[in-house]
Amino acid sequence: MKTAPKAIVTLVLLAAFGGAAYFSFRQTDPAASALGGLLPSVQTTELNGFIALDVEPYFKDPRVIKLLADNKLRVNATRIGSREMAARVVPGQIPDFFFPSGVVAANQIGDAARSAKVSTAVYSPFYTPMVIASWTPIAQMLSANGIAKEISPKVWDVDFAKLTQTMLDKKRWKDLKESQAYPVSKSVLVSTTDVRKSNSAAMYLALTSFAMNNGDIVTDKATAQKTALRVAELFKRQGYQENYVNGNFDDYASIGIGKTPMAFIYENQMVTYALQKKGIGADMVLLYPQPTIFNKVVFVTTNERAKALGELLSNNAELQRIAVDYGFRIGDSAYFAQTVKATGLAVEERITQVIDPPSFDLMAEMIDVISREMGQ
Amino acid sequence: MKAIGYRPSSLLILALLTLLAACGDKSAPSTVVVAASNLASANEFKVLATSDLRDAQPLEDMVLKATGVKLKFRFGGTMESTEAVQNGNADADAAWFANAKYLLSDSQGQARVKLQDKIMLSPIVVGVSESHAKTLGWDKPEMAAKITWKTITKAAQDGQLKYALSNPATSNQGFMALMGVAAAASQKSEALTAQDVDRGAISGFIKGYKLPGDNSTYLSEKFIEQQGTRVNAYINYESLLLSLNQSGKLKEKLRLIYPLEGVATADYPLMLLNDSKRADYQKVVTYLKGNEAQNWLSQTTLRRAINPEVARAQLGLFPQGSVMVELPFSPDRALADGLIDAYLNEFRPPIASTFVLDVSGSMNGSGRRQQLVQALQYIAGDDASLTGRIARLTSREKIWMLPFSESPQPSTYFEVPAGKPSAKGVQVQTDTAAKQAVLVKVRDYAEGLTMNGGTALYDAVLEALKKMNAERQKNPSYQYSVVAFTDGENNKGRGLAEFKTAYAALPEDVKAIPVFMVLFGEANERDLKDLVTTTGGRTFDARKASLYSVFKDIRAYQ
Repeated sequence: MKTAPKAIVTLVLLAAFGGAAYFSFRQTDPAASALGGLLPSVQTTELNGFIALDVEPYFKDPRVIKLLADNKLRVNATRIGSREMAARVVPGQIPDFFFPSGVVAANQIGDAARSAKVSTAVYSPFYTPMVIASWTPIAQMLSANGIAKEISPKVWDVDFAKLTQTMLDKKRWKDLKESQAYPVSKSVLVSTTDVRKSNSAAMYLALTSFAMNNGDIVTDKATAQKTALRVAELFKRQGYQENYVNGNFDDYASIGIGKTPMAFIYENQMVTYALQKKGIGADMVLLYPQPTIFNKVVFVTTNERAKALGELLSNNAELQRIAVDYGFRIGDSAYFAQTVKATGLAVEERITQVIDPPSFDLMAEMIDVISREMGQ
Repeated sequence: MKAIGYRPSSLLILALLTLLAACGDKSAPSTVVVAASNLASANEFKVLATSDLRDAQPLEDMVLKATGVKLKFRFGGTMESTEAVQNGNADADAAWFANAKYLLSDSQGQARVKLQDKIMLSPIVVGVSESHAKTLGWDKPEMAAKITWKTITKAAQDGQLKYALSNPATSNQGFMALMGVAAAASQKSEALTAQDVDRGAISGFIKGYKLPGDNSTYLSEKFIEQQGTRVNAYINYESLLLSLNQSGKLKEKLRLIYPLEGVATADYPLMLLNDSKRADYQKVVTYLKGNEAQNWLSQTTLRRAINPEVARAQLGLFPQGSVMVELPFSPDRALADGLIDAYLNEFRPPIASTFVLDVSGSMNGSGRRQQLVQALQYIAGDDASLTGRIARLTSREKIWMLPFSESPQPSTYFEVPAGKPSAKGVQVQTDTAAKQAVLVKVRDYAEGLTMNGGTALYDAVLEALKKMNAERQKNPSYQYSVVAFTDGENNKGRGLAEFKTAYAALPEDVKAIPVFMVLFGEANERDLKDLVTTTGGRTFDARKASLYSVFKDIRAYQ
């Protein structure tokens, strides 16, 4: 890609922040799917809204449809990209709710609503942290080099500042101490999707920029530009990157350690995999970056009627628990941990070190710089 | 050797592509052929697949039975298919390639692909004849575990490794092998650039390249024939080499070498091109990634399952060893294009061939002369498309044009001068003035062809073979072949039986010179197949496709 015009970067970024987890190819489908399925009874409230792809399978789940119907709600949810949602705040045609992926997309909707003099209420019923999918021998090597630590069986914390520095120093795996389990001359690098297209990679950019800025969130343009120039090499040096959201995780899960020693993913990708396969491959482990970022799906209502849905999603224990089947974390972290534990996947139950990404404008600036670097 | 007919389905595609290209606007298919083909196949789910997937064709029935979707494969070469998808000319609902990274490292290619899912895996590996592996010491596991593309390059350079490989300019296997060599030589731990390519390593590796070809069926047959005499190794997908080992057709089995830190795994993405077939696509993908299809693919085609459960269950089918560390793929098109260009024009053994051209009177009818003239002018032209650059005459190439009618006529010789090689790395070279001048001469020559008289085909082919064999004694570093083209029955000079007798009397070395026979007009298919069975080589069918597209195909075998 040649130098991306600012407008395109902005769109990508909206997608990114929108946490359109399934951006790229999957996202190009504007296919509207009318969900619901039960005939509305006299008392039933019918709600129309736009949702992100992340939560589409959830709304299609018959248990969810039934629980909503039991609560006199019928939901017609149409999947669109999170980045497109703010543009749908059109007076006279405003849906009852939006359910974008990512706080920033939610903020964009909030801003658009304020301009349109529509009041909104916000709920964040589920979320998933950004993690690194890796392998026990890799985690052990990182640990031997003071970069990671096993905080409970098979759960590893990784010092993200140290890891970033190791990558920037162009260390090879075989340069690390105790590298006999992976004596490979590839550079130590975390695999990501294409930052020009994907939200998870933008989250990686947010984390690395924090690490490189001495543990501070980037807050000014000059720092953003300087940081992005250095982070660019962490993307560029990866070589070919998969440009559909699951590509990176697919390579990790099916080709394995030889191709992907570390993959930057949404935790719910690994959790869903473990739940579906009723287990994980030998040696598969999650590394939790310290700090990490949460990717939240944010429920934004534009009227009183829709608040009932926001309340239910946030507070109905059954609806919350069904979200765990799709890999999301909920308020009840013990339930999440216990469900996942049954699969043999170890997760960090309480994640405390969490940061926010830089502002929308600065993220756009950084992605713009990286796109230019990668185009060269 | 068994003669192989040319793949009719892919010829049809080429014909359609040509028509599409000719009418320009693909959104309004105005030709009868295209419209008819759309009608006939409206409810099919058409998949353009790379030709190495031929062994997966039984999936058509399996998918139909399981999902009701009428999956319909059509096969094509890697570059030709990549070009079709990139230009929006694939005429397919989906594409299934061994590797789509070249297509997807370009925004135009990305935009064509609506959804993608990887279906299975097969690494590109080096199969070495067991006795030869022993000679090299590569049979010992501790040695085998340390073999890199550097080791392989050195063995090729020293004349110890003589391998078969499909054309690096047209196939994924050939291209990735070159990338492996380039990456290992560069000592870089990450994505290469065109500047990093170690020219010495590429030319060393190419020294061992003794058996080229395009499609794996052809290459495998030639490999079986020449194993132990001209070649002792075969670089291809693990799946193909394991299948050969199982087939019982080899003189001896191959030991598979997985280059340390240099394995390039084909991941077979199935890519949706036609968004309106999304529902069918999803059904097909769900089935293909399910246990039944994944087990079948593992057991029957010996590709590794993408479905981790099946992969674990079928692990026993594949050689076990150390971790296969993947070769990083550089998305740099300048590297890919530069490497292909340099391979063709600088590194590969230059092509030396005689074009045996039928200029009998029958060529004047049905625009046949015009087709021949145009095809020759195309290969001496400036088609810069992905497939066009492969068809073009390459730097250092020698061509003799040998027209025949009543008898073979005097031949005309052309030699394309070498370009100025890059001092460092690789890049696409522009034609020098000297090269341009030769190309002009070839085009003029073609324009000047006149047609009359009978058809002394076998005499002409025999003369060409003698000529090439004599040249080969003088300049063994060239890659020799005969391309013969006829539109009718042989009716002058030797008959087929006499040709065979005369051929048998030629020195044994002549067997290294294949004959690529183009069928055109009323050519006698049975006799011509018989001829290439005697001489080695294969037939190409230009009766349903444009002659130029057939010439493009032949170039990948030269």
